[in-house]
Amino acid sequence: MGLFSKLFKEPEIDLEKSNANARKMRALFNHVVEDGDNYRLIFGYTEDVSRFNYGFVHGSKTKIGNLIVGWNEADLSIAVVPTVPDLSGCGDPIYYRRSGIQKAYRNKYPTDAFIIYPDKNGYIAINAYDWLDDEKLYVYVSQKEELAAFTDFFINRFATR
Amino acid sequence: MGMGVFLLVLVTVFIWGNLWFHFVESILGFVRRILTRHKKPTVWHTFPENEETEDD
Repeated sequence: MGLFSKLFKEPEIDLEKSNANARKMRALFNHVVEDGDNYRLIFGYTEDVSRFNYGFVHGSKTKIGNLIVGWNEADLSIAVVPTVPDLSGCGDPIYYRRSGIQKAYRNKYPTDAFIIYPDKNGYIAINAYDWLDDEKLYVYVSQKEELAAFTDFFINRFATR
Repeated sequence: MGMGVFLLVLVTVFIWGNLWFHFVESILGFVRRILTRHKKPTVWHTFPENEETEDD
C-alpha cells in the first residue's frame, strides 16, 4: 500500500454503531407508530434553506430536520417521524397514504429527493443516502439495501407520476 | 507592514461580521419567542429505555 492510498483512504462505516442506531430507530418508531413492525425503515432528512440579509452581512442558513421514514408495502403508506441525530427522542408521526395524497414523485434536480404533496398547500422533500458520515447533523446509519427497497417502493408503487 | 495591516483589516471585518450576525439573530430570536409564546409546543417523546434491545 502506498502513502497516497493511506492518506486518501475512504471513510469506513462503523457497522456496530450503525446497527445500534438502526435498532434505536426501530424502537423509537414502534414507540409512536401503531403496528410499527409492519413498516420497513430508513433514515431521511429535510433541508430548509433560507436567505438572510442583515445589512452588510448576508448569506444563507440551512436547517436540517432528521426523519425516521417508515413504509408499509401492504397499505401503500409512509409514516414520517421527526427525530434528532442522537435518537434521544422523536415527535409524533405524520402519515401519507397513497390514496389520500395529492401527488408524489422523485425529484432529481436540483437535489435528489422524494417529494410528497399531501395537499395543495405544502409538501415534504425527503432526502436519503446510503450513509452520511457527519454524526452531528445526521443519524449514523448504513442503509444501502433498505434505501434501494424504499426507492423501488416509492417509484413503482407510491409515486403518482 | 502593508500586508499585516491588510490581514488585520480582514480579521476585524470577519469578527465584526460574526458579532453583527449573532446580534441580529438574537434579536430576531427574542421577537420570535414573544410572538410564539402562546403556541402549543410540539409533542416530543423521549427514547423508551425499556424497549432497548438486549445487546445494547
